[in-house]
Amino acid sequence: MKQIALYGKGGIGKSTTSANLSAALGAKGLDVLQIGCDPKRDSTRMLMHGAWIQTVLDLVREKGEDHVSIEEVVREGFAGVRCVEAGGPEPGIGCAGRGIIATFRLLERLGALHGDVIVYDVLGDVVCGGFAMPMREGYAEEVYLVTSGELMSLYAANNIAKAVARLSKRSKPSCSLAGVICNAKNMAGEEDLVREFARRINSEMVAYIPRSRTVQLAEVHKQTVMEYAPDSEQAAVYRELAERIFANDQTSTPTPLEMDELEDLALQFAEI
Amino acid sequence: MNSKTLHSSSQRYEGCTLTGALSITSGVEDAVTVVHGPEGCAHHNVSLLHAVMAEQGRPALPRIVPTGLTEEGVIFGGEEDLAATLRAVAARKPGAIFVLTTCITETIGDDAASVCSEDYGVPVVLLPTAGFLGGCFSDGLNAALMTLAGLADPVEEAGETVTIIGEKNLEYEVEENFAEVERLLASLGLEVGLRFVRDARYADLKQIGAGQLNILREPALAPVGEVLKERFGTPYISSFPIGLEGSTAFLEEVGTLLDLQTGEAVQQEEERQRAMLDSFADLRGSVFSIDPMTFRALECTPVRRVMEALDLQVDADGAGVSLPYSPPVGTAGIRRLLHRWRRRVHA
Repeated sequence: MKQIALYGKGGIGKSTTSANLSAALGAKGLDVLQIGCDPKRDSTRMLMHGAWIQTVLDLVREKGEDHVSIEEVVREGFAGVRCVEAGGPEPGIGCAGRGIIATFRLLERLGALHGDVIVYDVLGDVVCGGFAMPMREGYAEEVYLVTSGELMSLYAANNIAKAVARLSKRSKPSCSLAGVICNAKNMAGEEDLVREFARRINSEMVAYIPRSRTVQLAEVHKQTVMEYAPDSEQAAVYRELAERIFANDQTSTPTPLEMDELEDLALQFAEI
Repeated sequence: MNSKTLHSSSQRYEGCTLTGALSITSGVEDAVTVVHGPEGCAHHNVSLLHAVMAEQGRPALPRIVPTGLTEEGVIFGGEEDLAATLRAVAARKPGAIFVLTTCITETIGDDAASVCSEDYGVPVVLLPTAGFLGGCFSDGLNAALMTLAGLADPVEEAGETVTIIGEKNLEYEVEENFAEVERLLASLGLEVGLRFVRDARYADLKQIGAGQLNILREPALAPVGEVLKERFGTPYISSFPIGLEGSTAFLEEVGTLLDLQTGEAVQQEEERQRAMLDSFADLRGSVFSIDPMTFRALECTPVRRVMEALDLQVDADGAGVSLPYSPPVGTAGIRRLLHRWRRRVHA
C-alpha cells in the first residue's frame, strides 16, 4: 500500500490535484482512498459530483464514536475512489487539529485505512501538531508539496518542508519528501523556478501542471477533469502525474531554505 | 506569550492557579463555582477541598460543578457546554456563579467571557485560571480576591467592624488562627464584620468597603490591601500576627491606625504570654532534633525566640519534632506548637 500526502498553501489547488490524481489512479484499476483533512471538507467534492459527504466528525458528533459505521464514513465516488472527509469545527471555534487526530483514530478502529493508494489531502499549512498527524508513523510515507511559482506559495511549501525535516529526524522516521508538484499560475519562468526550488530543498519537481480552463469547466460541472474531459490535454497531465507518483520510489529528507535564500531565488527567476 | 517562571521559594507559590481561585470561591456559601474543563480538573480540586474542609469540621461537599469537557468539546469548542452548564446551575438560583477556566479551554480559545456576559438571571463572575500560563496557587487566589474586591458596592460611611482578608482556607488551623485574631481585636474592643472570603455570602462580599480596618492574612496579599485602601480609604495591616512579639506589635499597630489606646491590652497580652511560657517550664533545657523537611522554619524569628526563652537546644540526637508549615499565629499559635513539642518529648 502506498500512502501519500499533499500539502501546500491554501487555495493553491491541492484538492483539485488530489481529486484528479485519485481519479487517474482509480481509472488505472487501483483501489484508492482519498481523505480530506480540512474542516472545509471540500477535498472529495468533485469526486462525489458536487455532493458534500457527511464528515467523520459530524457523524461522531451526531451518533457517538461507537455508533459510526464504515459505510457511513467511506463513500464511493468517481472511478471507484473511496472518499472520506475528516471535517471539523465551525470556523473560529474549537480545535481542528485535535479533530484530525480523532478522525485518524476512528478510521484506524473502523479498519478504513486500506487499499492500493491512500491520498491524504491536508489543509493549507502544518499549523499545529494535529495537521502533522497524516505525516506520523503508520500514515503517509511520502509527502508531496503543491506550489506555484508565487513567493508566498513557495514560502508555505518551504515551511511544510521544515515540518517534514523535523519528522525525518525522529528516531523512527516515518515520512519523507517525495517531490514537488508545480500547479502553475502561468507566470514567466515559473517551471524553472519551481524546479530550482525543489532542487534546493533536496527534492525534485515531479510534475508541471499548466493552468487550464478545462479545470474550471470541470469544476462548474462538479466533476474531476478525468471525468469531465478524459481526452483533454489536462487529463493527460494528471494521468502522467499518477503514473509518476505511483512508480516513484525516490524520497529525501528536505533541506528547507532560509527566507532570504527563498527571496533571492524568486528574484533571480522574476528577472528572466 | 506568557513566559513567567515559578517562584518556588514561598509557601503559596506552588500548585495550580485553578486550585488557588477555588480555595476562595468555594468559601462563598451561596455561590456555585463552575469549572470549565474536563471532569478531572474539578474532581482533583473537589477531593482536596473536601478533605481539608472535612478535617476542619465541615463535611459538606464544595459547591463545584465541572462542564465536563470531552474530546468532542475540545474539537468543536466548549462554549455551548459552558452555556448549558451555566443555565442548569442558574436554574437552582445560587447567589452567584463563579466560572473558572482550565488549561484546555484556554488553549483552544473558548470565549468564556462572551458566554458569561449573557443573562442567566444570577450574577456570573469569570476568572481565567489556566495553570499552564505559569501562574500558581497564589496567582489564582490573588486574582479571585481582586476580582471579588472589584465587585464591591460603594460605601457612604465606614462602619465600626474589622474585615479579615484572604484567610488560608486550606490550612488545618484556619479557625484557630481566626479565633486568635478575633481575641486580640476584642481586647481592643473591636469586632470582626466580614471574613473575605470564609463563611460569607455573595451579597456580604459587596460590603468589603464597609469596615474601618482590613487585616490581610499574609504580606503577599498587599496588592488587595492597596486596591481597597485606594478605593475606600480603609487602612490595612499586612499580616496576621506571628508569634509572641508579633501579637503585641499587632495590637500596637491596630491602635496606631485606629487611634486607640493599647497600653492595657498590650500589658495583659504580655502577662498572658509569660503565664503561657511558665506552663511549659517542664520543657526547659530539652533537646530537639528538627525535622529536616521543616528546618527552614528555624529562620522564623518568633519560633527561635520561644526556643531561646525556654532554653531549648537543637541536636540531631534529640526528640524529633517538626515545625509548622505556616508560621504560628499569635500567642495561641505558639502555645499549640509547644503542646505538640511536649507530646514528642514525653512520648
